[in-house]
Amino acid sequence: MSQHLDELLEFHWMMDMLQTVDVGIVVLDRSFTVKVWNGFMESHSGLLPSEVRDKSLFSLFPSIKQDWFTKKAKPVFDLKTRAFMTWEQRPYLFKFPNYRPITGSESFMYQNLTLSPLTSATGKVDYISMMIYDMTDVAVGKKQLEALQVTMSEAQEAKRRFS
Amino acid sequence: MFSVLVCDDSLVARKQVAKCLPQDWDVAVHFAKDGDDALKALAEGKGDLLLLDLNMPVLDGYGTLEAIREKGLKTKVIVVSGDIQPEAHERVTSLGALDFIRKPVDPKTLAEVLDKYNILHNDEELQLEASPLDPDIRDCYQEITNIAMGQAGDHLARTMNVFVELPIPNVNLIEVSELHMMLSDIESHEQVTAVCQGFLGPGVSGEALCILSDSSFDDVAKILNVEGEVDDQLQLELLMDAASILIGTCLTGLANQMDINFSQGHPIVLGQHRAITEIIAMNQIKWKRTLAIELSYGLEGYNVQCDLILLFTEESMKMMNSKLAHLLEDF
Repeated sequence: MSQHLDELLEFHWMMDMLQTVDVGIVVLDRSFTVKVWNGFMESHSGLLPSEVRDKSLFSLFPSIKQDWFTKKAKPVFDLKTRAFMTWEQRPYLFKFPNYRPITGSESFMYQNLTLSPLTSATGKVDYISMMIYDMTDVAVGKKQLEALQVTMSEAQEAKRRFS
Repeated sequence: MFSVLVCDDSLVARKQVAKCLPQDWDVAVHFAKDGDDALKALAEGKGDLLLLDLNMPVLDGYGTLEAIREKGLKTKVIVVSGDIQPEAHERVTSLGALDFIRKPVDPKTLAEVLDKYNILHNDEELQLEASPLDPDIRDCYQEITNIAMGQAGDHLARTMNVFVELPIPNVNLIEVSELHMMLSDIESHEQVTAVCQGFLGPGVSGEALCILSDSSFDDVAKILNVEGEVDDQLQLELLMDAASILIGTCLTGLANQMDINFSQGHPIVLGQHRAITEIIAMNQIKWKRTLAIELSYGLEGYNVQCDLILLFTEESMKMMNSKLAHLLEDF
């Protein structure tokens, strides 16, 4: 009996961890209805798990193009490989506000995304998990560096022209 | 690894000789039951050192020594025989054998002889220069990559409706300079875009490098059913997609066979429209040697030139070899 209780408690704190981890976790089924929506997603989107559960991702976020996302997810379901999207490709999938609304220079959160297959007990992939990482600081750093490089080469160009 | 070939027609003698090899000597031991057998094994690179019996059926020790000399094989030969006549000793040394040990062999004598000809100590430096990767292990890596590729090709063909010309994997233990050489023939063609992705499993780590030539993008777009003009942004996305599929399927295949799981980091763009050496140049300080598995993909009917290079750290090989030990035993 106490073993069952332990398992239950363990399950509880595991769920708690999934809820509070600072990475967005979403589980989708084959028709892209939302099955899991963790605390990160809730806080950043302002949508409660009860509001998104069993609803289509595309109806919740019309800005996500269905064809495009379906194509992205196809190999994850069929080949059981992971799919990746980086902020360099497209800055974000979900338009979330910057984590630091006061001191942050960007208005939205740059995101890296990983889609990975969730294999069921039968070996089939019926669900995929989507993980969303906040890449804003990295993106801002890289953009600043690039801006600096442009300014420097322009300055050098100008100097050469005048001398 | 340094390899030792024990050639004797008697099973008991073969085992006895193998048992007398120094305990702490890290070598691959192979066996042959007559001279013909031995020559075949030598041709496959299985024998930096040959411990040779003289009286055998099919082809005896003298004949074997003659054949080795005729073919210019680089193996070192020590004769192990019960025939202790002085003439036998003379004949074999004149035929190119280093020394002669009388049967039954004992570990001490064998160690002394090996020591005398610097075989015990110099082998490491020698093999680094000559053949850094044991042929058996190379074979084994090549085989598991083949199997992984077969599975991956099947997956790709079914999802994308293309016929994948399965590449023959090229397995090498290489140094930085060699990676440049390996990539130089890709460079001569044109500009490329490259993505790298780190992967990590228990005791195994490395990076996958996916290199797509710029002229391939239009066809990749067709295969992945992407419409619209292929601009820089879209190219990057196509490369990411193609790379995820190629790297993912190949790694899954390898991981299955080794019974491990790889976690993959986020792919990083190494550079767009650049010369390949430029892309590699930035990272060359951190490592010295790496196990490289190189795959060149082609798709029938499409102009797609894509290279996938899996680079494993040198330390990873320990774990991989132990995971693959069951395959190696069969050799």
